Amino acid sequence: MSPEPIPSAVPSAESPEPKARPVAVPVWLIVLLFLLLYGGMVYFDRCSGWFADQVYTPYQSVQELEAMQPASGPPSLAQLGLLVYNKPTCVACHQANGKGLPGQFPPLVQSHWILEPEPGRIIRIVLDGLSGPLEVEGQNFNGAMVPWRDVLTDEEIAAVLTYVRQNAEWGNNAPSVKPERVKDVREKTKQHKQSWTPDELLKVSPAD
Amino acid sequence: MNYGPLIFLATFFALSGSWCGFVLTPQLQIGRLQQTNTLGTASTTYPVARPGLAGQGLQVYRANGCACCHSQQVGQTGTILEISLTDAGTNQSSTIAALLDLLKGTDDHPTAFVPLPPLEPAGSNAAAAALQSKLPKALLRTSDPAAAKAAVKTLNATSAKAEFWVVPVGPDLSRGWGKRRTVAEDYLFDFPVMPGSQRVGPDLANVGLRLPDTKWHLLHLYAPQLVVKGSTMPPYPFLFEKRKIERRPSPEALVLTGHLAPPAGYEVVPTPGAVALAAYLTSLRADAPLFVAPLTVASAPTAATTNSQASSLAASTNAVPAQTPAK
Repeated sequence: MSPEPIPSAVPSAESPEPKARPVAVPVWLIVLLFLLLYGGMVYFDRCSGWFADQVYTPYQSVQELEAMQPASGPPSLAQLGLLVYNKPTCVACHQANGKGLPGQFPPLVQSHWILEPEPGRIIRIVLDGLSGPLEVEGQNFNGAMVPWRDVLTDEEIAAVLTYVRQNAEWGNNAPSVKPERVKDVREKTKQHKQSWTPDELLKVSPAD
Repeated sequence: MNYGPLIFLATFFALSGSWCGFVLTPQLQIGRLQQTNTLGTASTTYPVARPGLAGQGLQVYRANGCACCHSQQVGQTGTILEISLTDAGTNQSSTIAALLDLLKGTDDHPTAFVPLPPLEPAGSNAAAAALQSKLPKALLRTSDPAAAKAAVKTLNATSAKAEFWVVPVGPDLSRGWGKRRTVAEDYLFDFPVMPGSQRVGPDLANVGLRLPDTKWHLLHLYAPQLVVKGSTMPPYPFLFEKRKIERRPSPEALVLTGHLAPPAGYEVVPTPGAVALAAYLTSLRADAPLFVAPLTVASAPTAATTNSQASSLAASTNAVPAQTPAK
């Protein structure tokens, strides 16, 4: 049953109304879309960095970043020591310039306590602290240093002491401190429960 | 028909989708950025909070719309690896042979290496001269990390000591605007972040590094054309105060000559805002080596730039027209 044609008052010579009818999508368009999709996927895979938060252009993956890291080898004890020093541990009292505060905290710069060739005493000070009247390069101090036995590891103490003893900016130049040496002293002074006093320390041989 | 619930759901999903994309995802990715330890910088932790005065300067920077003409983000288009010799070693003839072999290309990396000036006319004479020159010196250049590592290994096997330097490159970097690209960590302590988008003037991400002098910045704010010829920057005289000299001149007064000089008995001193802004500008430096933006730092600390060098540097960086379209 076809609809009745609407009768027109004025007969015309125009062509009949166009009608929509289903048309097949051309094959080339489907192929093109798939090609574009494939290109997009390849580009995404290559350049997105998979949205990793560490990857910025011009790098494309964390692996590439890792390969690009400057190969300077493992950092030296003194370099690690700077990180320990600023943790903040020592820097809080002895200051970033190692000069301490006059009358309150003794300096580490050019101090004979620091620059002893054998580090036995200075390791003991860091492990268990120091209190009592202390004389450093002509200045008198009477404060207390906290113990670091349970806070810092052998490696950290060795690193920070090496940094302090070998800091060229401060003019310090003493032999480095090995982690084994710190371990040794830690074992020997296990029974020592209080802070050291300067008099007590002076009785200990630096080489012990 | 009641379309209400449908419209509500559509709106809800559209808004929550964009919220997830623009707010939640970035927050999850970089919301918990922290200071990192970096060896090779002055402070070892990076970034550090700006000192108080510089923090106030950020607000002056913001209030005066500096970010309308200055960006604070450095781009980078690539990274090259320079293989450098730090020690010529004892067996120099084998080092020279190894260098020439590397230039010819190895099996794994046929043409990975480009010779740098001391080695440029590739030949045994040039290689010998390169070994005699002041070390450490970069001799070869490549963009392939694997090739660089192999070359360092080869050179180290000949009693010489070699390492590779990571050198970021790009138009911004060749203008002297920085040493590496800027990353999210660089802005950790800035609120609000002032990355800017226009480059009418030079990029300021590292201005504290190339122009470390506060006095220079104050003079430049008061009369830009005085210190940088042909600068298009407007002057900011309202950040300064022209006042009568009481008793003795202020040590902070600007040193002005010619038509800019204040009348006799008067001086031009910066207001606290100008001092804070200058402190902020000198605190701007984003050059620490980071995992996300690797960079080799020269082991020797660079000598402090003197005033005359600084101003000529400023002139040269300013003279380059801002030709990089901000994308």
